[in-house]
Amino acid sequence: MPQNEVIQGLDLDDYKFGFVTDSEPVFRTRPGLDSDIVRQISARKDEPEWMLKRRLKALDIYESKPMPDWGGDLSELEDTLSETYFYVKPQEKMERSWDDVPENIKQTFERLGIPEAERKILAGVGAQYDSEMVYHSLKEEWESKGVIFDSIEDGLKNHPELFRKHFGTVIPAADNKFAALNSAVWSGGSFVYIPPGVHLETPLQAYFRVNQERLGQFERTLIIAGEGSRAHYIEGCTAPVYSSDSFHSGVIEIVVGRDAFFRYTTIQNWSTNMYNLVTQRALVQQGGHMEWLDGNLGSKLTMKYPSCYLMGEGAHGEILSIAYAGDGQHQDTGGKVIHVAPNTSSSIVSKSISKGTGRASYRGLCKVYDGASNAKSNVECDALLINETSRTDTFPYIEIDERSASVGHEATVSKVGDEQLFYLMSRGMDEAEAMALIVRGFIEPIAKELPLEYAVELNRLIELEMEGSVG
Amino acid sequence: MANGGVATAEKVERRAVGPAAAAEAGAGDPSWLRARREEAWALYEAMPMPSTRSEEWRYTDVGRLLDFDGLAVAQAPGGGPGRRSGLASEEALASEEAPVSHVGAATGLPAELRDAMAQDREGAGRVVDVDGCVVLAELDGELARRGVVLASLRDAARQGLEGVESLLATEAVPASDGKFPALNAALWSDGVFLRVPRGVSLDLPVRLARWVSSAGTAAFTRILVVAEEGSRVSFVDEILSPDMDGTALAGTTVEIFARGGAQVQYVSLQRMGRGGAYLAQQRTLAERDATLDTLNVALGGSVGRVDLNARLLGSGANSDMLGLYFGDGDQHFDFNTSQDHVAPNAHSDLLYKGALDGDSRGVFRGIIRVHEGAQQTDAYQTNRNLLMSERAVATSLPNLEIEADDVRCSHGATVGQLDAEALFYLMSRGIGRRRAERLVVLGFLGEVLSRLPMGGVVEKVTKAIEAKLRHG
Repeated sequence: MPQNEVIQGLDLDDYKFGFVTDSEPVFRTRPGLDSDIVRQISARKDEPEWMLKRRLKALDIYESKPMPDWGGDLSELEDTLSETYFYVKPQEKMERSWDDVPENIKQTFERLGIPEAERKILAGVGAQYDSEMVYHSLKEEWESKGVIFDSIEDGLKNHPELFRKHFGTVIPAADNKFAALNSAVWSGGSFVYIPPGVHLETPLQAYFRVNQERLGQFERTLIIAGEGSRAHYIEGCTAPVYSSDSFHSGVIEIVVGRDAFFRYTTIQNWSTNMYNLVTQRALVQQGGHMEWLDGNLGSKLTMKYPSCYLMGEGAHGEILSIAYAGDGQHQDTGGKVIHVAPNTSSSIVSKSISKGTGRASYRGLCKVYDGASNAKSNVECDALLINETSRTDTFPYIEIDERSASVGHEATVSKVGDEQLFYLMSRGMDEAEAMALIVRGFIEPIAKELPLEYAVELNRLIELEMEGSVG
Repeated sequence: MANGGVATAEKVERRAVGPAAAAEAGAGDPSWLRARREEAWALYEAMPMPSTRSEEWRYTDVGRLLDFDGLAVAQAPGGGPGRRSGLASEEALASEEAPVSHVGAATGLPAELRDAMAQDREGAGRVVDVDGCVVLAELDGELARRGVVLASLRDAARQGLEGVESLLATEAVPASDGKFPALNAALWSDGVFLRVPRGVSLDLPVRLARWVSSAGTAAFTRILVVAEEGSRVSFVDEILSPDMDGTALAGTTVEIFARGGAQVQYVSLQRMGRGGAYLAQQRTLAERDATLDTLNVALGGSVGRVDLNARLLGSGANSDMLGLYFGDGDQHFDFNTSQDHVAPNAHSDLLYKGALDGDSRGVFRGIIRVHEGAQQTDAYQTNRNLLMSERAVATSLPNLEIEADDVRCSHGATVGQLDAEALFYLMSRGIGRRRAERLVVLGFLGEVLSRLPMGGVVEKVTKAIEAKLRHG
């Protein structure tokens, strides 16, 4: 199918995911947060005592840590949080078949194209609606090879030892204020285990939907990729547009085993009233390869810096980050690479586009510890500014304790050049088309890494966002 | 030479950095200056010591590195050694028996300082500062007749010279800027006031030679340079001290104004001995079509922290900002630079290069800020680090904050080791490994010097680097 038809077939509006579904949750905590609410969440999930204790301890840590005074504007967040529902249970139990998912919730995901996508291209699908996974399924083929793809709650229930061995080891509660918050109130998310040597040929996907107004969504994902395994995990996020702000704070922990390959793709397209403060980290063992492909298009404020801790010799980490900041949006994104072992390598490529009053900030860390001999790291950031009111920042941290390390960082900021526009227009394009083409060319190195559906959607979104941006 | 004078032997008292020193600091000053000092001291006391929790001080634990309570400020009764008698002759300066009697320099200027001064080529004027107190200020007579002013800052304030009251710690580095700007604004003993009238060009540099005499000393110096429209001047600020077993602090605040079309170069050569702590705040203000270039060289001392803020206030303004640091032993150098593009159509280009040996640590934190409306900005920033030992540490934080769209900005940072190919090439030509390494380091750092060719500076810095390489 020619690409044009694919694009038209997608029929996207400016923000086509802004609809609300009329659904009654079966349970929700009162707004706000205290230890009683944490106990309620834990009780609802029928958790072992150790998990409740951890949650309560994490709550203490959360309360003792100050709000970050860097990154985005969090001054209104305390007020938002005091009115936030920290836990909203949409249905009694998680389903394994779409047919059993309540009609209105199912319709929501159908409108988002999820079941169709599952049939076509995915090895497994999880869908989270407000605070719980409402659906999780894995193709038999993979299940029979020992792959586990489950809700995080079922992971804890059904694989207690594996779960406890890794949970909170990659991102401890004390890591940062929002990791602590997530550790206290987490609900939903995936538990993934890829056995040694298993190569998952098609991606796993989790889809996150917030429907309830003033909801806080705190999904928690734990992924263990066994030695020599290969897999790709995709998450997508959308929410309705409400007048009051919502809050999403996920924690994603990944252990990449020896010589394993893991790619984690995020297409974040939250509505523009969402605070999105996420901690994502992978520990990469000897010879392992981790890739974060992080697309941030939506939300009011995103603060998210996927990181690779290169713990074993020869481990490799890659972060491809693309941020689009439209009117009123602030994308404070980037990545971190921590070189602990010799002969490790990493690369960060970040592309951002700021339009209208949007602000895109790159924030990153490259740390090479003493002893990580011959570590190599390269960081490239490009920022494109569309309007006079657009804003961009670059804040890299480079900390090198190892003589034989070789580290480079480069960033450029530019506007779409009159010459580029003139050239394309002299070839018969109108200005809007020319602008869209230039912007697409700018993000191309990242878009081409995405599965086709996402790449097409990304391009289409960018095209729509560029409409009316000229003249 | 006119305006020349060397301080007489005068009893200098030392007071701990504290309220008594603050109360005494303004003795003999005009009332506006005393009021400013009092206000600054109140600000200093009100502001907390910067901690590594704050972004700007994240890698330099200044409270731990420097024991402020153990330091004493040199203060002459009646407010600094402002009273002078007798002219200084070249012979007198060169002699051990120079009529300079001061803290730690009772028999004249120390040999290290005289050596450094002897290496200088000709200058348009010269100021000598010992422990923050000016003991000599002299200017070429012809330039004095053409209206150039070079004076001890203390004298300039007392005599009410034009520009001092309006520009001292006001527009450029006010006390409210932070803990150390406030400390300097409260306690400064003396410094330099240099004003170049409209259209006057100085072909030779004005040189300031500073000496910090001993451990336990806190010397606070201020430099105020005003280059009026279309004038041209360069200023070399060199500081030395002996190797010391304790800490001595040199606090330095530099304020430079380049009016329309003026061309100013400011060079800081920090060559203190062991135990030296150098804490500088530098701000340059470049108006329309002005050129205001800076070079910071850090070779000596135990701790060095320079906060440099270049403000491009007029269209066509230009700032080249160069830096060079070479650390060994346990030296710790921290540069915190900012390029503020306030006006459209201005240009700034920063290059800081550092070589780090032994257990030394280099920190570079730089930011380009393109303010709203500063269209057609060209701003660049590059930081390159060479790690020469297993234990040396380099930290680089090149930042951009852009609030205009029609700009060209880029930054780059690298950390790496000696270029193996260059070494191999030199060694294949029969050069020994140690010498080849020295040549590669010199070549690496020399790029910075080649961008600001100034009489005597390149040779002096190259010699100092070579000496360090030999001892390393």
